[in-house]
Amino acid sequence: MNDHSEVDQRRRRTLLQAIAGGTAATFFGPWRVNHAWAQAAQKKPLVIGLTMDASGQYAASGAEERLGAMMAIKEFNEKGGVLGRRIEAIHMDTETTPATGSRVAERMITRNECAFLIGAIHSGVANAISQVAQKYGCVYLNSNSSSPTEIGKDCHRVKFVWDGNGTNFAHAIVKNAINVNGKRWVMLTNDYVWGHSTAKAMRTLVEANGGQIVEELLVPQNTRDFSAYLLKVQQIKPNVVATAVGGDDIKALRQQVVQLKLQRTAAWVNNQQDWPDVYGLGPEAIFGVFGTTWYYRLDLPGVKEFVAAYQQHYPGMAIRVPGNVYHNGYMATRELLRCVEEAGTTNNVAVIKKLEGRKMTARDRLQHYDAWIDPATHHCEQTIYMATYNEQPAEKDDIFKILAQVDPKQVLDAEAPAACKLESYESTPTYEM
Amino acid sequence: MDALLNLLPHVINGLSLGLLFALIALGFMLIVSVMEVINLAHGSLFALGAYVALVVVGSAATPGTYALALVVAPLAVGAFGLLLELCMRRTYGRDPLYGLLLTFGAAIVIEELIRALWGSRERVLPLPEAISGAVLIGDLIYAKYRFFACGIATALIVLLWLFIERTQVGAVIKAGAYDSEMVRALGYDLAKLRMGVFALGTALAAIAGVVMAPIWGIRPHVGVDAVVPAFLIIVLGGIGSFWGAVVAGLLVGLVVGLTGAYASEWSLMSMYLLFIAVVTFRARGLFGRKSMLEA
Repeated sequence: MNDHSEVDQRRRRTLLQAIAGGTAATFFGPWRVNHAWAQAAQKKPLVIGLTMDASGQYAASGAEERLGAMMAIKEFNEKGGVLGRRIEAIHMDTETTPATGSRVAERMITRNECAFLIGAIHSGVANAISQVAQKYGCVYLNSNSSSPTEIGKDCHRVKFVWDGNGTNFAHAIVKNAINVNGKRWVMLTNDYVWGHSTAKAMRTLVEANGGQIVEELLVPQNTRDFSAYLLKVQQIKPNVVATAVGGDDIKALRQQVVQLKLQRTAAWVNNQQDWPDVYGLGPEAIFGVFGTTWYYRLDLPGVKEFVAAYQQHYPGMAIRVPGNVYHNGYMATRELLRCVEEAGTTNNVAVIKKLEGRKMTARDRLQHYDAWIDPATHHCEQTIYMATYNEQPAEKDDIFKILAQVDPKQVLDAEAPAACKLESYESTPTYEM
Repeated sequence: MDALLNLLPHVINGLSLGLLFALIALGFMLIVSVMEVINLAHGSLFALGAYVALVVVGSAATPGTYALALVVAPLAVGAFGLLLELCMRRTYGRDPLYGLLLTFGAAIVIEELIRALWGSRERVLPLPEAISGAVLIGDLIYAKYRFFACGIATALIVLLWLFIERTQVGAVIKAGAYDSEMVRALGYDLAKLRMGVFALGTALAAIAGVVMAPIWGIRPHVGVDAVVPAFLIIVLGGIGSFWGAVVAGLLVGLVVGLTGAYASEWSLMSMYLLFIAVVTFRARGLFGRKSMLEA
């Protein structure tokens, strides 16, 4: 090869590199902050990313909230979608693992061009997803994770939290439990953010009402053998055992408590009991008093139709009737799509402004009290129900007896607004797909 | 004195938990030591055993149906193990990664098969009245079933030891683990031997699944909870050592049980800390054979 051809080749390579660089710059340039050009102009489908667990501790609940979100999407598509665009859903397994949640969120935003993200049971996962969503400005609905930190120190401008949180449930349950059962409490707490923050709320209220936490036993996630904990509980002999344990852990715990018949020696209080974690365990294992946000046999207009729609659309499901997790997944998705429709755009700031302070009637949400989204914390304040096992079920699935329905105004998390520092609109990147 | 009296139930509980851990690790240990295959499908086979028991026991648990489940589950899962071993043959003599990948793939397939057949929701294996409920010892309540499970674990450990140490087939299996070429030269069919060992290992996984089902519950991914401690226990005890696996199981149970009571947040982490502590000072595990590379 002579000098000329070498120089020519070098020039050609430089030219190619320049073209490639220019193309990349054009292609990737506006990617980071503004995606307005991407889908809206071309009436492409509106893609919603479902960041929901299909494996790990909360796999069962992840599947339920996914069904709820899919039902809402189906209903909108039957009406022609939103803004004339068909809605598509992409689901990726967040594996009940925060690191996976981050990765999935990053991928859904940067590669799949998702307009919105919905889903989470595990609060660590929700927090991880929301950090990524905030970085890009993508509106994210935390549909089912209920750590008080989600509307406190981990709140974000783009994140909206739909489930009742640990503090709401603690407010609804603690005072009455102390009066009825006694002042010596032991806490069994899942050793992660939801468990810790919920236990903190419980402790504060127990002590404020004259009770005493004599021991708090931390339960690592994925604990399957509770024998050591249950022996310890027996040795302490408390009046009340308060649990903030979820997913597969609470299923194993409930079964082992029943084997020892410990549900008869102390009162058990479970801060929040998700429907998929208790469905199918059998009547004996549904002991104690627990909190929830919805039940399929609430005697309210529209509930029967809602249940019938689930059964018609998802025939042959292992869980034959919808529960609180499905309800939250559905309501969150439906409300988001309504906001997009009202805003007339998928622009993040426009949608956020529609969601902030939004009021939803009790009838519309199939609950006893009106709900609203607190603009200071982005928390959906909704009816809290206290329940226990139903000794006289009207049918096989009628396993809960609703003891009380509590107005959200009575169980507000008063500390959240001070702890939550939402990013300003200006510092939140513009995002529109 | 009071502290000791408080400690005693936790020591007993830890040992019982250890026996159950040892039971979970038995089949895994057998396959690793004889075939030098890390069977990552062990957990899924464990789960499959529990689901087969669910079918056999049905809704009305009697001592008869439960006993039948303890026989049918290992037979069914053992047959499945035979098929898996046939698939594995092409990996013998090749990079161990092939076997690892194949069993990993098998684990996923089995888990999805379970989901397809039985769904994803939680299941409960009903127990016969005779072994359910609780017993009062001192002023503490213990689950009757836990004693039963420990009894089965002990019986299986003893039976497996007798089989390996006191029978001719066991002697051939042991010889195969040491020098497979010599076993072949002596006229034994190595292929059949491997097949038998793999089936036995998977059958043991199934029995463990049946025994643990009433304690851990049944869900498609329950196997993950079994395979990790099983792997840890056989490395901790020393790969290839029968009693190493049993002692390691007991140690892990004891450590998990005691930390669960006195430093609960460390209860799961404690087994890994124990593992790190032992392997740091004794890389081949507690009872592992000395490597040729060691001085």
